[in-house]
Amino acid sequence: MTCREFKHSAASLTLWELSRPHDEQILHHADECPKCGAWLDRQQLLAASMQTLQARTAGRQAGAHVERALLRMIRQVPFEGAQPVAAYRSAPIAFRLSRFFELGAYVAVTAAIVVGLFLGFRLIEHRSATASVQRQSASANTAPVQPTPAAENATMKKIAPTMREQPSMSAKRQLAVHPVSQSGSVRAQSAVPALQISDDPDYVALMFCDPLSCSSDAQVVRMELPAAGATSDRDAQPQIADVVVGYDGVVRAVRIVN
Amino acid sequence: MLTDLTDEQLLAQALAGDEGAFTVLYRRRQGSVFRFALHMSGSTQVAEEVTQDVFVFLLQRGSDFDPGRGVLGAYLFGVARNYVRRALERNYSEALLNQPADEEAQSLVTVDDPADGIARHQTSTAIWKAVLSLPGHYREVVVLCDLQELSYAEAAEALGCAIGTIRSRLHRAHHMLGKKLQHSAAVAPGGVSRVAARCAL
Repeated sequence: MTCREFKHSAASLTLWELSRPHDEQILHHADECPKCGAWLDRQQLLAASMQTLQARTAGRQAGAHVERALLRMIRQVPFEGAQPVAAYRSAPIAFRLSRFFELGAYVAVTAAIVVGLFLGFRLIEHRSATASVQRQSASANTAPVQPTPAAENATMKKIAPTMREQPSMSAKRQLAVHPVSQSGSVRAQSAVPALQISDDPDYVALMFCDPLSCSSDAQVVRMELPAAGATSDRDAQPQIADVVVGYDGVVRAVRIVN
Repeated sequence: MLTDLTDEQLLAQALAGDEGAFTVLYRRRQGSVFRFALHMSGSTQVAEEVTQDVFVFLLQRGSDFDPGRGVLGAYLFGVARNYVRRALERNYSEALLNQPADEEAQSLVTVDDPADGIARHQTSTAIWKAVLSLPGHYREVVVLCDLQELSYAEAAEALGCAIGTIRSRLHRAHHMLGKKLQHSAAVAPGGVSRVAARCAL
């Protein structure tokens, strides 16, 4: 028998079986091999010590008060209604405190999760609201306005008062009055921004003008209007007016000079 | 007769409210549970507390026991093991482990033959100290297999692990115990000798 076979055979035996081995091969090898013999001696010493401890504690059992306590508990509490806490009646105060703190920890973790979820939902709500506002503003900037006829009329009605609402600006933004030429009805032209014209209260808007198309430069043309076109009096002098003409040739506004 | 019934039958009757069946079952099984807890903790107080907790648990959750998965004895050891762990974690176990088994070992000295009693006392004290100083998972296999004499299969059922795990842990635990015993024998002036240990048998 080799040492490897010895260890393999000995490993299959319990400590009690090793203390009194009946296998002749094991005993023979233990006598021949000092190393395996020493190992077997240690196991036998351990088995002997264990046996001593076992023999000395064999008669030990729980005190009668444990049985009395159990029977008292059975008589007092129905089996179904017995609460698990009854098992810890004799537990020290430190254990009860630790249970209290354990419960507190559970509550704290639950509260943290609830607060986290609440804040998360609020954050998601806030982000979605911000995104929708940005989308709305972007679409308002890019999409062309398609006013309905009713809305168009309403807008046109609104433009005229707007031109007259800022008299204080008109003094600073007076249109340059060019000398009237004698050759034609068109006296002079000047390129001015349409917004500047819209600020002048003397101009009367003649059409709907959306901000995009009217933001480009327009020309102010001083014209001499026929007297019949201006007033009903045929002997009256011809009317001189400043006409704002857009880049598309459409008259935007007019101002009677005299 | 209630004493003729098996553990499982007694448990069924006890759960049905039969106090006599519970008493018989308790008296049949409390000793092994108590000794297991005593060997694991080194304290009579902890062992009694664990014994009470185990049987309270049996009354409350005994319906969870499945006879098809093993015997009631191994089930009780499994429950006791958990209560011992809990008890060792929560209270005075550290103090006990610092002075292991001294208090309990005093009761092991016999008065018939003083010399023999002293030798046995030294042997018991040394091995108990060595067992108590083992890590928990090694200690429980030593207590179950070497002191409670459970088979490997029963120990594996009680601890919820494979038989191979029991074997390997036991082998390792024996190796550690052998070293500890050798060390204590070398340190102690009248330490445990092989001859004294054999004479103790």
